[in-house]
Amino acid sequence: MKTEGKQQVSVKWNSYLPIFVVCIMGVLISYLIGPARYTQRILLLIVLWAVASSSFNVISGYAGQVVFGYMMFVGTGAYTTVLLFKFLAVSPWLGMWAGVVVAILTALVIGLPTLRLHGAFFAIATIAFPLITFPILNHLGLEELSIPFTGHGASSMQFRDMRFYVLIAIALLAVVLITVRTIESSRFGFALRALKQNETAAEGMGINTYSNKLMAFMISAGLGALMGTVYSFGLLYILTTNAVFGLFIMVRILSITIVGGMATVWGPLIAACILVPIGEFLNAQFGDRYPGVQDVIYGVALIAAILYMPEGIWGMIRRSFRRLPSKLTVSMKLAAGEDSEQGIVDGARDYDLFKVKPIQGVTMGNDINDPILKIEGIDKYFGGVCALGNVSIEVPRGKVTGIIGPNGSGKTTLFNVINGFLPPEKGRILFEGRNIASLKPHVASRLGIGRTFQIPQVFSNMTVLENVMIGAFNRWGNVDKAYAEADKIAQQMGLSGRAYDQAVGLTMWETKILEFSRALATQPKLLLVDEPMAGLNPEESNRIGEIIRVIIKSGITVIVIEHVVQSLVKIADWMVGLDHGRKVAEGTPQQVISDPHIIEAYLGAKWRERHATS
Amino acid sequence: MGIFIESIISGILIGMSYAVLAAGLALIFGVMKIINFAHAEFAVLAMYFPTYWFLNWWGIDPFISAFIALPLFFFLGYLTQRLLIERIIGTPEAETSTLIITLGFSLLISNLILIGWSGAPRIINQPYTMATWSIGNILINRAQTYSLFISLGLIGGLFLLLNKTLIGKAIKAAADDPEGCAYMGINLHFVYALAFGLGIAITGAGGCLMATYRPFNPFFGETIVIILFASVILGGMTSIMGALLGGLIIGLVQQLSVFVVPIALQNVAVFTILVLFLYVRPQGILGKKGRAV
Repeated sequence: MKTEGKQQVSVKWNSYLPIFVVCIMGVLISYLIGPARYTQRILLLIVLWAVASSSFNVISGYAGQVVFGYMMFVGTGAYTTVLLFKFLAVSPWLGMWAGVVVAILTALVIGLPTLRLHGAFFAIATIAFPLITFPILNHLGLEELSIPFTGHGASSMQFRDMRFYVLIAIALLAVVLITVRTIESSRFGFALRALKQNETAAEGMGINTYSNKLMAFMISAGLGALMGTVYSFGLLYILTTNAVFGLFIMVRILSITIVGGMATVWGPLIAACILVPIGEFLNAQFGDRYPGVQDVIYGVALIAAILYMPEGIWGMIRRSFRRLPSKLTVSMKLAAGEDSEQGIVDGARDYDLFKVKPIQGVTMGNDINDPILKIEGIDKYFGGVCALGNVSIEVPRGKVTGIIGPNGSGKTTLFNVINGFLPPEKGRILFEGRNIASLKPHVASRLGIGRTFQIPQVFSNMTVLENVMIGAFNRWGNVDKAYAEADKIAQQMGLSGRAYDQAVGLTMWETKILEFSRALATQPKLLLVDEPMAGLNPEESNRIGEIIRVIIKSGITVIVIEHVVQSLVKIADWMVGLDHGRKVAEGTPQQVISDPHIIEAYLGAKWRERHATS
Repeated sequence: MGIFIESIISGILIGMSYAVLAAGLALIFGVMKIINFAHAEFAVLAMYFPTYWFLNWWGIDPFISAFIALPLFFFLGYLTQRLLIERIIGTPEAETSTLIITLGFSLLISNLILIGWSGAPRIINQPYTMATWSIGNILINRAQTYSLFISLGLIGGLFLLLNKTLIGKAIKAAADDPEGCAYMGINLHFVYALAFGLGIAITGAGGCLMATYRPFNPFFGETIVIILFASVILGGMTSIMGALLGGLIIGLVQQLSVFVVPIALQNVAVFTILVLFLYVRPQGILGKKGRAV
């Protein structure tokens, strides 16, 4: 879908149209089937499991944080509503929102500490919470709660005709699908996809990974609570802890989401339409003789989906649709002969057009002669090893500062300390007069410190353009603006021919250029470039040098780490030499490379070695 | 005082039974960096087959079954690794994918047991199941005590196997640096399958031992799987000695918590400890990050 609308990537009302159509169809089907309880019950189950799975998808599919304890929120919603209804006579129509609030608070309590954990640890940590709640509720005597029949009918969400519940559930489905669809094509959704693929790079691009994950977790929990309410009123006459906090809830949701497709809008609904009727049918046919047959189906579905269809049903459908347009764009461009001959490599010549405006504002008050970055007495230890010892550097504004030093001299550590991946043990880092030591990387990025990585950290399952957009979101909240900006930068950097290709298939050169484009899209005042020439041939290295000079012209200060001293001398205005975590030289390139310390530590060591072995 | 000492002793006995299973889990995690969610289900399977059925069919004593289970479950684990897990290991999402696929597998095992052998709770009836020794007024269950010593033997054996044999060295090396191993001509998939097999073998034996004094049903695994995770996380995930320590601590917490909270909330205490540990010290008690086996 994104490939079609060139100017328009944000959601308009018509992108919600399919959701409305599907929901109205659902209502019609339910109405036409008639009041038969059994079929309506299955229909209700399909819709409710689709709702729960889509809600689960927000945190586990889009943000990639698989919550094994998701039943916590379904249960919280159900219990809050039923308890309020039973003991305080609060209408479930109100109670369900109370359930949402409680679920969101629960998500906050669970998420604040656990979201710092990764992968499987996070999954296991979350499963502990329903397991704690379960026995506590039982102990409080709330193991079984009969939902009182008040006879108020509609106002207490109690209907004889199952079709009303289906109607409510479909309304809920519409809400959830619209939410998911909106998230998918918003800045928030891009942030989630980015942090799912590469948290380091996402932080480097100004995304607060932690708060974005927490946000997704709370949204997910709130929607799950709504499902819990309708589930308990529509299907259960007696609410039991096992029915809403049990592991089987998790299994259903997980199977449906994975079979349908993680991080897709339609996947969970499609999978629910397939798995739920099969499960119910088998249960009805063989359930009395083979009581576990339904769960066997879900177990087999889980295993088969992971092994043979990791993208899920919708993922496969979407991929087969996506392939066509993306090829078309490239071939059409080639036919038009725009940059066909020069191809991608020569496209980099376009950098003459390159005009990134530095962000003004904070810069205004500062004297042009003030250093943009002042590093004062930084210490950094790894265990007992001193990676940086009392390093002080002043980085002149609007110049290229080169940092050289042998392997393990602390160059990359210095970058990691500057943009917040590592907190220093001692010392200050003044960026435009503000101490940024120990700030998080996304804050550094917001303040205007861009970064490219030694080992390129692109979001490999996103297109080139989407990668650049992630950078552009650092300045623009609006998706269309970010898209336009990313498109412009991709063109200037000569990546437009590859704009709609997945970043995973890029060559080394293209990957490096993508890293530059993405970092520039964040509109940095200071750009940290970590070994840009590693892995490139001399011709390409020269071009990188030219690109860096162009970047300087647009008013951005650049710090470059490089191994190839020769190339660095050509582009740097100022140079710093590091050895064993200490600054051993500083000055113009000529001064530094003729400094005895540097010759000793860097050039001399190599030189001597060569002579010693021969 | 007597009841306190009795609780400590039973904590150690229970803890040891968790430790055996946790050792298998830690071995698998340590080597392959994956979490086996179906771990407890393997133990439950061993409670039925060989333990329960061998006793009923041929009158084979469960303690002998424990040793029969070793090769059987080694083979089962080996196959599981080869057929299921090998395909997804090494992919970027391997950690969560394996967690999910083993969750699916655990469902299969427990529900197939339910279908095949019914959900009725089972109990092993041997002379030692209920028999006790009494020291003063302290009662010690005999089956649990025998199990304790066999468990110690099993863990010791696993330890020797890993530290004194060439295969053990290959497994430890694969845990440390899989890429380096591949360059040294070690067949990683084979080593992984061996490690998985070993982990499941000791778990199967542990299940047999547990069956001698605990009633069980097809879904018994659900109640202990998180306890096993808790033990392993307490012990620092990858170390077998850590899992032993973690299992003992969990056993003690479970048994001693009755002095503080109602007995129904025993497991709440355990899971609270788990959550606290994940917050405060995710690297576990022994806490050497990345330590192999």
